[in-house]
Amino acid sequence: MEYIIWLMLGTVYGTIVGVIPVAGATIGLLAVFGMIDSFLGNPYLGVVFMTAFLGAVSSSDSFTSILTGIPGSGSTAASIIDGYPMARNGQGARAVGIALMDSTVNGLFWGLLAFGLMPFYSKLILFFGIPEFAALMLLSLACVGFITVKNPMLSIASVALGLFLGMIGQDPGTGAYRFTFGWDYLAAGIQIVPIIAGLFAVPEIIDCLRGKMKKPPPMVDYWSQLKQGFSDCWQHRRDMMRGGVIGFFTGILPGIGGSAGDMMAYGATVAKHPKEQFGNGNVKGLIGCEGANNAQKPASLIPTILFGIPGAPFAAIMMAVCIMLGLELGTPSLLEDQKFMWAIAGGFLISTVISFIICIFIARWIVKILEIPTWIYAAVISTVVVWSSFQYSGTINDLYILVVCGIIGFFAKQIGLSRPAILLAYVVAEKFENYTQQSFTLYTWSEILSRPLTLALLIVSILIVINSVRKFNGINFN
Amino acid sequence: MKKILIAFLLSLNLPALAEFRMIVPQAAGNGTAVWADIIARHLEKQLGEKIVIQHIPGAKDISGFNEFHNKLRFDEKTIMVSHGGNGIGYLVDRVDYDYKHYDSIGMMNLNIVVGKKKGAEMQGQKARIAGSSGQETDGMAIALLLCGNLPTMQTYLDCWNQNAIWVNGVKGSERRLGFMRGEFNVARESVVAWFKHYTSPESNAEIWFHHGVYDLNTRRQNEDPNFPRGYRFETQFKNVHGVDPKGPLYDAYTLSRNFRDVLQKALWVNKGNPNTERLRAALTKMITDPEAAAALEKDTGKYEWIIGDAGNQVVDRIRRNITEQKLKDMVWWHENAYKFPSVYKPELIIK
Repeated sequence: MEYIIWLMLGTVYGTIVGVIPVAGATIGLLAVFGMIDSFLGNPYLGVVFMTAFLGAVSSSDSFTSILTGIPGSGSTAASIIDGYPMARNGQGARAVGIALMDSTVNGLFWGLLAFGLMPFYSKLILFFGIPEFAALMLLSLACVGFITVKNPMLSIASVALGLFLGMIGQDPGTGAYRFTFGWDYLAAGIQIVPIIAGLFAVPEIIDCLRGKMKKPPPMVDYWSQLKQGFSDCWQHRRDMMRGGVIGFFTGILPGIGGSAGDMMAYGATVAKHPKEQFGNGNVKGLIGCEGANNAQKPASLIPTILFGIPGAPFAAIMMAVCIMLGLELGTPSLLEDQKFMWAIAGGFLISTVISFIICIFIARWIVKILEIPTWIYAAVISTVVVWSSFQYSGTINDLYILVVCGIIGFFAKQIGLSRPAILLAYVVAEKFENYTQQSFTLYTWSEILSRPLTLALLIVSILIVINSVRKFNGINFN
Repeated sequence: MKKILIAFLLSLNLPALAEFRMIVPQAAGNGTAVWADIIARHLEKQLGEKIVIQHIPGAKDISGFNEFHNKLRFDEKTIMVSHGGNGIGYLVDRVDYDYKHYDSIGMMNLNIVVGKKKGAEMQGQKARIAGSSGQETDGMAIALLLCGNLPTMQTYLDCWNQNAIWVNGVKGSERRLGFMRGEFNVARESVVAWFKHYTSPESNAEIWFHHGVYDLNTRRQNEDPNFPRGYRFETQFKNVHGVDPKGPLYDAYTLSRNFRDVLQKALWVNKGNPNTERLRAALTKMITDPEAAAALEKDTGKYEWIIGDAGNQVVDRIRRNITEQKLKDMVWWHENAYKFPSVYKPELIIK
């Protein structure tokens, strides 16, 4: 019974957060830090709540993009291109129907694939020794830093900043303190909540206050248009599934999912139909990208659960919450924990279905949220952010560090640093340093390079960086 | 909005509004935090008052204990939860806390198990040990088993460098994974974790030794009832080397072992706290409650409690065991064998 209650709470919370402009999965999950005590008795309830939230938020975050032209979250930005013109043309309910069906089908299909096969993926871990893990961390930094960011200098700066933030505190090898600037509070390092809040929530709150919310157009002929949207998905199922495939594979790569997967899926749809016009309400454009973020969410959890490398910012929060609940992601014993696997799969899949049903009936009313003045969202999100940040030590130091991280996040956004790259580098910094030090304690250089998997991962990482530099400089090696 | 604001303000003031407050020097979810959660849940039933847990995490779990010592202990409704790592920190790190200023409410005197690959003969092969803070005691015992009785710390260090690789910064789950893959050939666990992770045939592990359980009366380490006889460190040492362990490293090891294992899970209040006897009585009642006992046995294994003044006597006894030479050798070993920055504190020696 408790599981059902938390599943429903997660679903409802996710549905509401999804609709709130700029909130999204990452900011919504920050609030979980404030309720951590509710899950200490049974950590699986926390897992159910978080994954139910995730399933629901991935479905409802499209409404805002489609109806107002403002992204409900970073991962639904592409839905605006054809979804918003549809809404302006009086086809808002049809676009919502497409979003719901596309999100649900892709969420269920890729969710089943991701979670159903998780026990088989677990065998992979045994191929990864300490040097392989070090090389995998390097690859994840190369992926997040150099695949989607166009300027390699900004990539290097983002990764370096993230690594620096992650190295503050204690040297994992010797226990010596470093970069604490004489402030005892930093001896244990900077905690993940202020980092995420500063990087992702603070700049969005500022944007939210700066921007002006457009009143969503009314949805006419709701039921018939909704039905039309469902049939559109069936009719253009190839576009729908292509979006899912792209979302899934970008989700597996650390930090690449989100808006990149969504935009890549949209780009692929446009490329597939070269004779058609997009950007003026083409249903194929919306269908092609809408399910990508639903496939990306469960996919992002694969590297998170298997290796402890978060596939996306929201996954970094889930990882931190799970650690606080005593469930350490990236460990084989957790993969053998049937209860955990059921909690994570059940939460996501069931909430995707429930959210679909709820949204069908309340989509017309829930979008009234969009008529609330933006300063109210900003106030609510700010409260959640401050409250969550305070959960660490409950002292004013938590606030100081939040302010510092907020300033970093604000300027990172202004100057174009990759915030996912900063976050991922921060998260993997300790592990990357540890695994590298440990590799050289246990093995020599030649022993490390004679390991095929390590070598392959190192080569791919180097190629990604070279390719990024080559593209930036317009160098043609042919 | 108003409700959110109220909830927010309440969340900031929770500890102040609570009847009792338990300070845990770790974030939620860590070993001692989970233990404290079980204790708080069951102790508040006997106490008839709410216990709120306040986590004050920090490097090496020192910050929370320092905060208790410097500020929070003067509040008569504040209880400190400490663990074995704090015991080692007391000896070799720069810390503010000092056990002589507190009254023991109760403590669990636990054990740690060190395992190896099934059938492996550790003598003659390099021990690859996943080390980190809190495991220094295990490293000392391994050095003794591999090297036998040697005359000086330097000779131990030479032997250690030849026969062991200590890999710093390896966490519990990584240690288990590394052992499964064969990167490490030594495993180290709490008793419950040992039974959970290393008793299946696929784990390919067997007990090498455990440190034993401190006996209040004999002041020696006894066999652990959770294991068959014969695996206690001293017994294993004699099996391998034919003599009892002795010498400077063994002396430093016993000091480290006492502070880590005897103080592995403990509850404290400030000396003279008017609630001391009430808390001790509630804890005595709690451990006879079958539900609480079952929850604790699941978390820590089957171990005895030391409740009340007996705890103070135990601390007094192990503090008297600190000698200049033992402490200097322990600090030296931490710095040279593990490369951990450590500090020698002559003020710990009771003259």
